[in-house]
Amino acid sequence: MRFARAALALTGLAVGVAAVFLVPRHVDRVSDIDLAEMGVYFIAILGLNIVTGYTGQISLGHGAFMAVGGYTTAILVADHGVRDLWTIPLAGLVAAVAGVLVGVPALRLSGLYVALVTFGLAVAMPQILKWDKVEGLTGGGQGIQLFNEEALLGKGFEDIDVFGHAVTFTRAVHYLTWAVAGVLLLVAWLVLRGPPGRAFRAIRDSEIAAASSGINLAAYKVGAFALSAFFAGVAGSLLVISVAFVNPETFPVVLSLTVLVGAVVAGLGSLWATVAGAALVTFLPDIVGNFSEAPGAPDSFYGLVLILIVILLPTGLAGGLRRLIEPLTTRR
Amino acid sequence: MSRVFLIVCALSLVAGLPAAFAGSAADPGITSRSITIGGTTPLSGSAQAFAAVAKGADAYFKYVNSRGGVNKRKINYKYVDDGYNPAETVRKTRELVQDEKVFAIFNSLGTEHNLAIRPYLNETDVPQLFAATGATTMGRDGRQYPWTIAYQPTYIAEGTMYANYIKRTRPNAKIAILFQDDDYGKDLMTGLRRGLGAKANRIVAREGHAATDDNVESQIAKLKGSGATVLMLFTTPKFTIQSFQYVNKLGWKPQIYVNAVSSASNIMIISSSRNQNKRVEGAISIVFLKDPNDPKWARDSGIKLYRQIMKRFGSGNAKDVYNVYGMAVAHTFVTALRKAGKNPTRRSLMSAVTSLNERNNPFVLPNMVVRTGGSDRFPLDQARLQRWQRGKWVSFGGLIRARSTG
Repeated sequence: MRFARAALALTGLAVGVAAVFLVPRHVDRVSDIDLAEMGVYFIAILGLNIVTGYTGQISLGHGAFMAVGGYTTAILVADHGVRDLWTIPLAGLVAAVAGVLVGVPALRLSGLYVALVTFGLAVAMPQILKWDKVEGLTGGGQGIQLFNEEALLGKGFEDIDVFGHAVTFTRAVHYLTWAVAGVLLLVAWLVLRGPPGRAFRAIRDSEIAAASSGINLAAYKVGAFALSAFFAGVAGSLLVISVAFVNPETFPVVLSLTVLVGAVVAGLGSLWATVAGAALVTFLPDIVGNFSEAPGAPDSFYGLVLILIVILLPTGLAGGLRRLIEPLTTRR
Repeated sequence: MSRVFLIVCALSLVAGLPAAFAGSAADPGITSRSITIGGTTPLSGSAQAFAAVAKGADAYFKYVNSRGGVNKRKINYKYVDDGYNPAETVRKTRELVQDEKVFAIFNSLGTEHNLAIRPYLNETDVPQLFAATGATTMGRDGRQYPWTIAYQPTYIAEGTMYANYIKRTRPNAKIAILFQDDDYGKDLMTGLRRGLGAKANRIVAREGHAATDDNVESQIAKLKGSGATVLMLFTTPKFTIQSFQYVNKLGWKPQIYVNAVSSASNIMIISSSRNQNKRVEGAISIVFLKDPNDPKWARDSGIKLYRQIMKRFGSGNAKDVYNVYGMAVAHTFVTALRKAGKNPTRRSLMSAVTSLNERNNPFVLPNMVVRTGGSDRFPLDQARLQRWQRGKWVSFGGLIRARSTG
C-alpha cells in the first residue's frame, strides 16, 4: 500500500528530526561528538549503498574518497582561507571526480575485481598523501592543523551563533552534519526511486538483461561511482571540520572496511536502516571496549557481534525490520 | 529567636563566601576529594601493544588511592581508546576536556597523536602532561606551547647515545639504517648523525618504510647490499621482528642496534623465535626503566612494589615492561601533584612539572633523576646501554646523557 508506506516514511523522518534535536539534550551517555561522528558514517554508508547496495559494485575504498574530500576541505581552509561550509560541496565534487577516475577503469572489471581495485586505492591512499611530491600540499605525515583558522566554524571549538542562539561547537557540528545528512538522504531517495534507481537495480540483478533493455551500462555504473564518491567526499569534509585536523592516518584502510560493515549490517539496498548501521559502527567499538580490556578482547567482541548479526539477520537490520513491518504495509 | 536565626544566617554566609569563591575560581576536574585526569591510548588496533602504558599508570594510581590519595584527593584516571588514529585522538581528547571536564590530559600516546591535540590544549590552557612520545618538539617548543611536556628520552638523544658508543668502539664501522619514514624515525637518524659528527660519512645506506607497510624485506636486502657492518633498526616492533628474520635469512651478520620503542624483552624473544635466530644475540639498545624480566632486579624494592601493584590493581601481563613505564610516569605525576600545593590549579601543576627534581622514582634505573627546569622540559634524559645476551638484556657502562635537541 503506497499510503501506508508514505505514512511510515514521514513518521520515520519526523522521528529522525526529533532525535537530532532531542538526543543530545536528553541522553547524557551519548556525546555530541559521537553523534556527529555517527552522522559522518551515515553519509558515507548512504553513498556506499548507492554503488554497492543498489548497483552491485563492491567498493572497499570509500575511505579513500573520504580522504579526498577531507583533504580538499583542509587545503582550501588552511591555504586559501575558503569558508569551511563552502568547501563541503566542493569536497564532494572533487571526490566525485576521483570516483569517475576509478569508475571508468572499473568498467572493464567485474565483481570481486572491482572490490580489489578499490581496496588497493584505500591501501595506497595514506602513502599517496605522504608522497614527497605532494607533501607541500598535504603536509605529509604531519597532516594539516586547522585549529584556530578564521575560516573554520568557530575557529575550531568555540561557541557558535546559530540563529541567535549560542551553541557549543560540537553541538553545532552535530546539527550541521545531520542537516547535510538529511539533504543527502533526500537526494539519494529521489535518485533511487526514479529511473536511475531502476537502472541501478537492473544492473545489479543482471548486467546482460539491463543492457538488452537499453540501459547504458557504462554511463550508469560510472554515474553510480561518482555519486557515491560525492557522498563519501562530503562525509570526509565534515569529519575534518569536526576535528579541525587531518593527517593520512585519519583515513586508514580500516575506515573503508568500517563503512562497508555499516552498509552490510544495515542491509544493502535499503536507505532507512542506514541509521542503524551508522549507529552500530559508531558505538559498538566503545561498547565492546567496556566488556574487557584484555589485549585483543575489544576487537574479538566486535568481530563476534558482527558474526552474530550476519547469522541472525542475513539481510541486515533492514531485512529484519521489513519482516516485522511487512504485515502492516502489505495486503494479504 | 529571630535574632539567633539572623546571626546563624550571617555566619553561614560569611563561612560560605570563601568556599563559594574558591568554587568559582577552581579549575575543572578537581574537588577536595578527587582529581580527574584523562588521556588516549590504543586499546584496539595495530598498536594495542602499547595499552600497558596507560594500564600500568592506572594500576599505580589505584595503589596511591588505596593509600589515601594525594592530599586526600583520589586520582581518577580516565584512559580511552583512540585506535591509534589521530582524528580519534582529537575527538576523544575533546570529549575528555569538554564533557568529562578533566583537570589535565596525561600520558596520551603517539607522536602524531600528541601533535594533533597540542594546539587545542594550549589554546584552552589544559595541561598536556607527559605525552608518551620521544618527539623532540614536545619539549623544545615550550615557549610556543607552554602547556605541553613529554616524558621519555627524546629520539634525538637516543640516536646520539648510539653514535657516541659506535664512535668509541667501532670508529670504522659502515652503518646502515632502517627507519620508519616519519618524525620518529627521522629524529633518531638526526641524533645519530649529530652524534657521529665528522664520522657521519660512515653511514653508507639508509632505507625508509611507511608505518602502514606490510614488510621490510626489500629494504633489508638493499641495506645488506651496501656491505654495512652495523645495522640500526629505527622502527616499531612489528618491523623490528621482521628485520631480524630477514637479516638471518640473508646470512648477513651486522652488529644490530634496536631503538627503545621496540626493544622490550618480549619483542626480542619473538624475534629470536626459539633461539634459532643468532642475529638477536648481541643486539644493543638503551634502557631507562627496570625490566621486570631481568633477574638483576628480582630483589629490587621498586620491582617488588611493581609486582605487588600488578597483582592487586593491574590488569595485564606483569612481564610487559610497558606497565613499568606507566608506573614510572604515574609516579612522576604524583610527585608533581604533591608539589603543586594543597589546592593545585592547572597553572601550579604546570609549574610543578616544569621544575621537577625527582630522585626517588622506584621504576626508573637507580641514580636516574627525573629533572626539568627553565628551558629544560625533558624529564628523562639519561639512560644506560644494554646488550641482549642469552635471552635477556644485560646493561653495561654507566648512566649516559645526551642533549635532547638536534
